[in-house]
Amino acid sequence: MKLSKKGASPFFTRSGLMRGGVLIAVLIVMPQLFPQHWIWNMMFFTVLYAAMSVAWNLIGGFAGYPSLGHAAFFGIGAYATASIFKSSEILTNGWQPFFMLPLVGLGCAILALPIGYIAMRVRANIFAIVTITLLFVAQTLGYNLKSITGGAQGAGLSVAPFHLDIFEQPFYFAAATLLLFAMGIAYFITKTKLGMALTSIRADEDKARGVGVRTTGIKVITFAVSVGITGMAGGIWAYYLGFIYPQFAFDPLITIAIVLMTFLGGRATVWGPVLGAAILMPAQQLLAYYVGGSQIYLIAYAAIFLLIMLLLPRGILPTFLNKRRMDSMATKGDLSGTSTTPVTTGGSKS
Amino acid sequence: MHTLIQGIILGVLTGGVYALMASGQTLIFGVMKVVNLAQGAFVIASAYLAFSLFTQFGIDPLVAVLITTPLMFGIGVVGHWLFLRPLRSEDANQLSLLITFALAMLVEGILSMTYRTTYRSINTSYANKAFDIGGFSVSAVRLYGFIVSCVLLIVLYIVLQKTRFGRAIRATVQNPQSATLLGVDSVRVKAYGFGLGISTAAASGSIYGLLFPFNSGSHYDLISRLLSVVVLGGLGSIGGAVLAGVIIGVVSSVAAVTWSPTWSEMTFFVVLILVLLVRPQGMFGRVERGAL
Amino acid sequence: MIELLRVENLTKKFGELTAVDACSFTVKEGSITALIGPNGSGKTTVFNLITGYLPSDSGKVEFAGSSIRKQSPGSLYRKGLTRTFQQARVFADLTVQENLVVAGGGKWTNLFGRRITAEDQSRAAELLDEFKLSHVADLYASELSWGQRKLLEFASVLMSKPRLVLLDEPTAGVNPILIETMATHIRSYNAAGVTFLIVEHDMSFVMRVCDPVIVLDRGKTIAVGDPETVQSDPRVLDAYLGD
Ligand SMILES: Nc1ncnc2c1ncn2[C@@H]1O[C@H](COP(=O)(O)OP(=O)(O)OP(=O)(O)O)[C@@H](O)[C@H]1O
Ligand SMILES: [Mg+2]
Repeated sequence: MKLSKKGASPFFTRSGLMRGGVLIAVLIVMPQLFPQHWIWNMMFFTVLYAAMSVAWNLIGGFAGYPSLGHAAFFGIGAYATASIFKSSEILTNGWQPFFMLPLVGLGCAILALPIGYIAMRVRANIFAIVTITLLFVAQTLGYNLKSITGGAQGAGLSVAPFHLDIFEQPFYFAAATLLLFAMGIAYFITKTKLGMALTSIRADEDKARGVGVRTTGIKVITFAVSVGITGMAGGIWAYYLGFIYPQFAFDPLITIAIVLMTFLGGRATVWGPVLGAAILMPAQQLLAYYVGGSQIYLIAYAAIFLLIMLLLPRGILPTFLNKRRMDSMATKGDLSGTSTTPVTTGGSKS
Repeated sequence: MHTLIQGIILGVLTGGVYALMASGQTLIFGVMKVVNLAQGAFVIASAYLAFSLFTQFGIDPLVAVLITTPLMFGIGVVGHWLFLRPLRSEDANQLSLLITFALAMLVEGILSMTYRTTYRSINTSYANKAFDIGGFSVSAVRLYGFIVSCVLLIVLYIVLQKTRFGRAIRATVQNPQSATLLGVDSVRVKAYGFGLGISTAAASGSIYGLLFPFNSGSHYDLISRLLSVVVLGGLGSIGGAVLAGVIIGVVSSVAAVTWSPTWSEMTFFVVLILVLLVRPQGMFGRVERGAL
Repeated sequence: MIELLRVENLTKKFGELTAVDACSFTVKEGSITALIGPNGSGKTTVFNLITGYLPSDSGKVEFAGSSIRKQSPGSLYRKGLTRTFQQARVFADLTVQENLVVAGGGKWTNLFGRRITAEDQSRAAELLDEFKLSHVADLYASELSWGQRKLLEFASVLMSKPRLVLLDEPTAGVNPILIETMATHIRSYNAAGVTFLIVEHDMSFVMRVCDPVIVLDRGKTIAVGDPETVQSDPRVLDAYLGD
């Protein structure tokens, strides 16, 4: 029995377009239903972290290179925005920082090219080592390059001139746009040969290289795109808070949060990281509201991550999709095909 | 000139401690092919333990090693059993990195809950003592720390060279498949190997606590240094880690005296990048690829 | 017939062990050459050296007249030199069809094109059909049996229309019916102009399919010739029975 549909795989599937439409509708309508400031605030952080998780998933999930240094680029994006908009002269209607974001993202991406090239020449291990070290280096720079960052005293941006009643809204919509952009890239990846190439790198990079996949270029560019989005998220965050400190701009907590969100929802999927963020961020905000104290997050994030790794290593979405796939196959009886050849392991050596 | 030699002496003494920490780190990589990102966190945890033992019971940090070492070994074995052993082999490599990262966070979180985030230091009676050796001043804690590190490295060497367990570990490092064929119980070796690697954090922690003020977040700084040391030495090579520890110790200490203490913190990153550019497998690492 | 591959004094040491020791041989265009030898004689290592998966210590490798030492597996693949692995390596998280398409090469701009184009589909379908894998085309490679993985890997290296294919124990662990299928495929692709270099332990397979045969022992070429001559060569018997 043949499962393959005839003809090319489409760019846009009807279900894909529909899901995208529903998401846009939800992103627009949701906050209108709950006009309280703390809800807007929570939604802002949820959407911002969802965007970062989707971005992390590009390199950490699809390509299988777990970056531990995304927080470094978050911070770089934040400080870049902060130093551009230090004084209020260039802020007229308050939207300039948002229009500046693509440049900030591009800057981060260009910065990531040499780093990615060096770090990904060998293997995932070295990549993790370089990225975690990078985070520490960025932190140290954040404290010591006082002329740019203001050191431990922090750096201030000019206050956004939005009306207080709707203060969160521009930030929320900027983050939502970033999320849609990131998801668009993830979706594009799953629909093109690029996604196949990334999966082959994750599965067996040596072999992929051996069958002509241009591994180096693909990895480095994916990394650059991923941290570019993260840098933009940092820019929005900095503008939203109006005052930033190295401690929070280069916070390893950001890394663990987005990694956890990605793994909880399901890595190497378009929607997994969004699902993960939608579960965890509100939970964190509520926790902060009722308990307070950021040490708790650290323990909670780490503990939940370890639990997920043990109990649900593939994440919610893939587990669910796989179950559905198995069920549909079982009813169609397609798996029978696999048993025509007996499974033997090891070589028959003479 | 005098300051330069002073810097080199200081660097060698500090490098000895790095060597001890890094040998555990690289041992874990050799046995399990896992980069243990929690090594720094375990060092800091040990430093806090030594701090508590000292302030509560007056036990000298260097004596406390006798208590913390077995404890860290146990934590390592249990940690391996709980979190690393269950990983499926296909993506174990990627996941184990993230798991050790999460472990580091967990340890950091627990430490900052128990001890708060203020910087601590262990002020023993000899904290400010210094010897005068040939016109160079050598602080007592650094010298003691260096001696203890050397003793422990020798113990580690003997364990690896002379015991059956050590042979099993070395066989696994050389070639996991054939070690299994030769009857080495790979799960046990991995668990104990991980434990042994973590146990080096105990003494390192005591010494670190004597040398530097620390708080729960210090492990990022530490792990970055350690990883640079391990990469320079060649992942999996203990001899390489020891040599690289001393080299990086000297380089950053010389940079501190001749240039600027703040920016000397960056030397290890520069070294890391240079190594990756020039010789990615490190001084004594093997290029492992292809095969089969 | 011209020489497609020439290996001269190729040497590789792993620490103390000399896995490949000044090994020399040639492969003629259009042949199905066998590379045999006892376990551990260095056959797989020779493959790794030729295809750029391992750096060699010294020696020469020429492919179609130009030196290919120190070239990466990827660029060799694009030049038409491909291989399979002893432990079949397929991309577990890709479907069978995608495994073929990803190995299909093409311009880098294709990366931004559809995952599977109509052209990919028809090219893959042909191979899938031939290798009796059509019914599993949409399964993940991780869901295949051992033998099917071997077939899939073989099929996938053919996607790039190679000139020389190195097969590392194509029949190991594969059931007898599939072994016949393998033999048929090798012959028919050979007839279509593809040259093969095959590491194989199954002597009856070698006798039926290959000519000439190169024998390797402890990293050295000890005999070359047609299957019958080689089989009766005392040095070869020695190598196999010696220790
Ligand atoms: N990456 C490696 N590192 C160290 N030793 C290796 C490596 N690859 C192969 N060897 C050693 O080199 C020798 C030759 O191995 P190789 O795999 O090439 O033999 P082979 O002829 O393919 O054997 P088989 O018939 O078992 O497949 C063996 O002793 C093997 O242990
Ligand atoms: Mg072999």
